[in-house]
Amino acid sequence: MDHIELSLTQSLDHCIKCNICTSACPVAAVTDAFPGPKYVGPQAQRFRHEGQPVPDASVDYCSGCRVCNQVCPTGVKIAELNARARAQIVAERGLPLRNWLVARAGLVGRMSCGPHAPLLNFGLRLTPARWAVEKVIGIHRKAPLPASSTYTFRAWFRKHRAPTTARRQVAFFHGCATNFYEPHVGKAAIAVLEHNGFEVLLPKQQCCGLPLISNGDFKAATSAHEANVQALVSYARQGIPIVGTSTSCTLTLKEEAPEILALHSEDVQIVAAGTYDIFEFLRSLAERGELKTDFRPIERHLPYHQPCQYRAHRLGSPAMDVLSLIPGLVLEESHAECCGIAGTYGLKQEKYQIGMDVGAKLFDMVKRSGSDLALCDSETCRWQITHATGVASKHPIEILAEAYGLEL
Amino acid sequence: MNYETIVIGAGLAGMMAALGRAERGERVMVLAKGHGSTHWAAGCLDLFAEADDPLGAINQLVQTRPAHPYALAGVAALEQALARVRGVAEAVGYPLVGNAGRNLLMPTALGALRPTAFVPATMVNGEARQLGDGRPTLIAGLHELRDFFPPLIAANLRAQGYAAEGVYLELPPVERAHDFSPVVVARLFERPAFRAALGRQLAALVRKGGYARIGLPAVLGLYNAVEVVRELQALSGALIFEIPTLPTSVPGMRLFHAFEQALTKAGARLQIGGWVLRGEGSNPHLHAVFSEAAAREQRHLARRWVLATGGVMGGGLRAEHTGVVNETALGLPVRTPSGRSDWFQARFLDEAGHPIFRAGIAVDAQLRPLDAADQIVYTNVAVVGSALADFDPIREGCLEGVALATGFAAGQL
Repeated sequence: MDHIELSLTQSLDHCIKCNICTSACPVAAVTDAFPGPKYVGPQAQRFRHEGQPVPDASVDYCSGCRVCNQVCPTGVKIAELNARARAQIVAERGLPLRNWLVARAGLVGRMSCGPHAPLLNFGLRLTPARWAVEKVIGIHRKAPLPASSTYTFRAWFRKHRAPTTARRQVAFFHGCATNFYEPHVGKAAIAVLEHNGFEVLLPKQQCCGLPLISNGDFKAATSAHEANVQALVSYARQGIPIVGTSTSCTLTLKEEAPEILALHSEDVQIVAAGTYDIFEFLRSLAERGELKTDFRPIERHLPYHQPCQYRAHRLGSPAMDVLSLIPGLVLEESHAECCGIAGTYGLKQEKYQIGMDVGAKLFDMVKRSGSDLALCDSETCRWQITHATGVASKHPIEILAEAYGLEL
Repeated sequence: MNYETIVIGAGLAGMMAALGRAERGERVMVLAKGHGSTHWAAGCLDLFAEADDPLGAINQLVQTRPAHPYALAGVAALEQALARVRGVAEAVGYPLVGNAGRNLLMPTALGALRPTAFVPATMVNGEARQLGDGRPTLIAGLHELRDFFPPLIAANLRAQGYAAEGVYLELPPVERAHDFSPVVVARLFERPAFRAALGRQLAALVRKGGYARIGLPAVLGLYNAVEVVRELQALSGALIFEIPTLPTSVPGMRLFHAFEQALTKAGARLQIGGWVLRGEGSNPHLHAVFSEAAAREQRHLARRWVLATGGVMGGGLRAEHTGVVNETALGLPVRTPSGRSDWFQARFLDEAGHPIFRAGIAVDAQLRPLDAADQIVYTNVAVVGSALADFDPIREGCLEGVALATGFAAGQL
């Protein structure tokens, strides 16, 4: 029993059966397929033993949004219990092809990104194509798939001319989405960091492994994380902060991979301790009076949704804190638990509608705002919001770059 | 980021303090480990259960027990706090009714009668003096809803001389089949068709049994309960009242929601899931607190702090088997009986109560924490609610009253 398993076993004894988690769970609120975090977490855990068949497969309907952990008054690690329980199911029953595929965001991105992207994007907008994808693979025909980019972020960065005045360095973890689908998010981050006097380094990296973890493929997730740690540890050892724009990637490097996959080497810990979400990083600069505040006013009122995976960092609301420094900009918080997509969850044919129902409160709020733009830190959430509401969405770093008046 | 006040704990005491400070124009954050005391409690306000006239009893108590939190906060703070909390609830269309000068007697989910001073308007028709008017009461529930047994409640009411009968209603057709926690059923009550179907069943029962009022589990909608009660009264032709259920408490969630709205309106921030592990300060100032976060602790800075983490139940105090009681967030000194053997009286139901239940943090008149020598530990910290020493919130039946009075006082200091 590793120390995480021990702490999980002990933490389930902290459960006092108050049902606060189940009352807050956005998935249990909309479907009976998931009986709620208390049942599949601390209660079912007592029936899970090595060498014994899995007592209940409903844990597969946990979206991994971690709202249960957030509201638990006694500190039970419910989401971690669920992630491990799902892996036990995968270990017993194997990984379906669809889950194998959606868990490999990097591979899919690499194949679809490039000059052929427009053609592929066009193809994936065709109803019959999506119908076939649903029938053959099980990705829901309406689920929001991102449009591939014609160039990768890394290719752009290689040609990018950095200012020569930098005093300090950061290492940028772009993740799969920025590299293959949304290079503009990475460009905005680089512009903001350089504007604040940083030289941005681009370590070798691969998928953070989160989609693999949430689909229960722990073997592949472990090799992804080990490769990333190997590539990042020298930066962390030199005290160069590793900064990312994808809140789920940074959470995975900080906590999910070490905790859920039980990886605890010194290198893993050093990388975890040296990784920051970009707004966490910018907020700490602001707290030390080191963030530039030469903002142009942005007279806008925008809806903002903090992704569940960002709240799971347990840092409050760093993007709100930093954007509140921009004169004129007013953000309205969604106060919604989750958008429903939860990475790859809402793409799946049998879970698409659950995801849409989970996100209904958020979609209502975005539509009611009357805004033509919504802000959200996580890529899959942005795609889900735009899919469900028709309202365009941006990463908050893009607004910050705009406020600085930076050319992208 | 640069808060003037950070409140640790999101129960009634903490939210009341935060609201007070935010309404004075301060930048305020509430930092809490999770949802808690509101979601566990009945959603009523207990001021002092042992007397018919709680306010009168409290006026006497502050003379005889100067260390009691009521004495430190003052009766005026309690009265202002009550007005404020009623305003907060009223603002979301959820009035709290009652009288600080006379306790109500409300039926519990066991059919016992429990004294409390203020209840949501959705409960008040179940007050014992009304139940005793000679006309029959129906207690109704659903088989599917756990831990709520109408025949048991009715039998216990009858044993106390109230005419009552218990019945199970038939669950209207819903797509759900498995789990019927209080919150799930509360969400169903927000659907007009669900209410209408149950209303028809209740009307038929009223026609047959001539019931004057109907007690239902306190699950009549999450955010529009007053409307639901009004509608069910119109449909059934009887008065409706809610009876608190086991946790998760829907009336408690409504109260939390009301405060959440008020705090947001006042510009305060809430960080739920931020478990405070330690503080850093040098006497007499607390400079920072650190909360648990992914990969490393999060540091919080503020000028002023309110500790509202609760007692043993809320996690603010932790009793070790060694006989030591710790304050879990800042490591403040805790006043406890001197040794483990002095924790309890010899008799389980001793009328004086057990000394360990009065353990907590001793404070001065401005609610600042004191050490064993009565010296102030931090001048910029106020301690409120059940973390305080020298009272027994459950036995005295004053948990909400003390939370509100001390929370209000800390909001004005």
